[in-house]
Amino acid sequence: MHQDLKNILSYMQHELNRIETMAGTLSTIEREHYNKLTNFEHRELVDIAVEEQNAARQLGTMKQMCLTMTQQIEGVKKAIDRNELGESAARAETH
Amino acid sequence: MRRLIENFIRSVINDNVDKAITRAIRDQYTENLFEMIPATKKVGLTNLMEIVMRANQGTPVSRPLGSPIHLSPWEKILFNPVHLFRFPTPESVGISTSITIGHRARKPMTISIPIMIAAMSFGGALSKSAKIALAKAATAVGTATNTGEAGLLEEERDAAHLLIGQYNRGGWMNTSDKYKRLDAIEIQLGQGAQGSAPQRTSAKNIGEDFREVYGLREGEDALIHSRLPGVNTKDDFIQLVRRLKDETGIPIGLKIAATHHLEKELQIAVEAEVDFVTVDGAEGGTHGGAPTLQDDVGLPTLFAIARANEFLARKKVIRDISLLATGGLVTPGQMLKAIALGADGVYIGTAAIMALVSEQMVKAVPFEPPTSLVVYTGKMTDQLDIDKAAMNLVRYLNACVLEMEQVAITLGKTAITDIAKSDLCTIDPFVAKATGLQLGYVAPEHQGRFFEETKPLFQPLEGQAEDQRSSIHH
Repeated sequence: MHQDLKNILSYMQHELNRIETMAGTLSTIEREHYNKLTNFEHRELVDIAVEEQNAARQLGTMKQMCLTMTQQIEGVKKAIDRNELGESAARAETH
Repeated sequence: MRRLIENFIRSVINDNVDKAITRAIRDQYTENLFEMIPATKKVGLTNLMEIVMRANQGTPVSRPLGSPIHLSPWEKILFNPVHLFRFPTPESVGISTSITIGHRARKPMTISIPIMIAAMSFGGALSKSAKIALAKAATAVGTATNTGEAGLLEEERDAAHLLIGQYNRGGWMNTSDKYKRLDAIEIQLGQGAQGSAPQRTSAKNIGEDFREVYGLREGEDALIHSRLPGVNTKDDFIQLVRRLKDETGIPIGLKIAATHHLEKELQIAVEAEVDFVTVDGAEGGTHGGAPTLQDDVGLPTLFAIARANEFLARKKVIRDISLLATGGLVTPGQMLKAIALGADGVYIGTAAIMALVSEQMVKAVPFEPPTSLVVYTGKMTDQLDIDKAAMNLVRYLNACVLEMEQVAITLGKTAITDIAKSDLCTIDPFVAKATGLQLGYVAPEHQGRFFEETKPLFQPLEGQAEDQRSSIHH
């Protein structure tokens, strides 16, 4: 049972790492788009550039969120290894 | 013909100016119109007009947008660029601008930029269209907006991906059907521009949409009490925080007006295990409030941030409790300095409203103030183009964050959150002493020597402080 849970968590961790990398790459691309689009003295293109920059920052945020979730999953996996998860659940039931 | 008219006008102006100057010279000073110049200079133009308004109304005047007095010496603080001993960040490296509020909450809130839209309520302050525009802009840049002291406005909830709601002293957001739909809860016990004073919106200024959101009866005033209903002891507050945390799992914070009692207030927030604290400095804005509350009550934002940061660090909760700063932050430089001094994020109100109205102010001026497009009781709220206003604010926020990123690059940092006190120096010895920043006049290794050698200059002040302390105790 614990091994199944650990396998699921490892899969989630793996996929989160991939999303984190993808978000980082896309963020860099969006930032480059901002730099290119602001070279044109065109109002609408500058507005699109601003949107690209906002997207770049939000992708950066996603990267950060993925990193935090990966760390939390690692914490849960370690708790499973130490058998703390079952103990805390049992404690919660007695209270 | 044109030349003739010009000559005529010049002649009339010349005659009248000559007469006016001659009269100003010859009339007795006490009967002279010129007396208005030194008299106005003596009391100040703003104070003069507010004297006249008070004399006319007989009630406290309601000054919009907060105190015009600059109490925080932001201009006395500078960032320290790097070149060789530590290298600037390469321009190809993206600067991380996201922050997380409420790390220990079950559902922390992560935003993409460290700037949020401040608490400005629908009805009490702003029109529905202005609130929607603010929410749209916040969503576009990946940040949060704040409800202010109001009920839950459905249109704002729909437009805002991240909405911080104020559990407020009017009681309009304080039921679970409303606060469970928020992304963070800020328990509002005060604000920079008003302290913890009560406020009243008269029924005559309350429309049907206002009544609906606030749950008011027709003819009923909207009342903000000085105390939060149900919170009369420290334990009441602690119980409230714990209940909201258990019920929602979202970050629960406390908002207060900055005060010299800051540490005592924060001690209770630490005991209650809040997820964030919002400190609103004396320069904070408002839709309208008494000038005395704005100018003469509270603590400047800069010192409030430095003190709050030091206190949270001393209590070892700096990672657990996010510090949000607000109050008179109008330039990206000030916002970034607030972050460097220890704030995790900042709220902007007045600057956001100005950016929102910016290009559309031509619809109002010169016969109406630009705020008439956005305040609830404004005459021209129906003329605000929501999408255009939101785009103006998006552009403004983008420009602000880009300027912050430029500073981060010159400091050799890759994240806004990495910028700290060590990236600042001050050119004011008192600010240095108060905040722990290094004094820019002397090299880091000579800081101690400078203050040792100039000690006699500070001693008279220390003596005064000692006198004050002893007079209080006797």
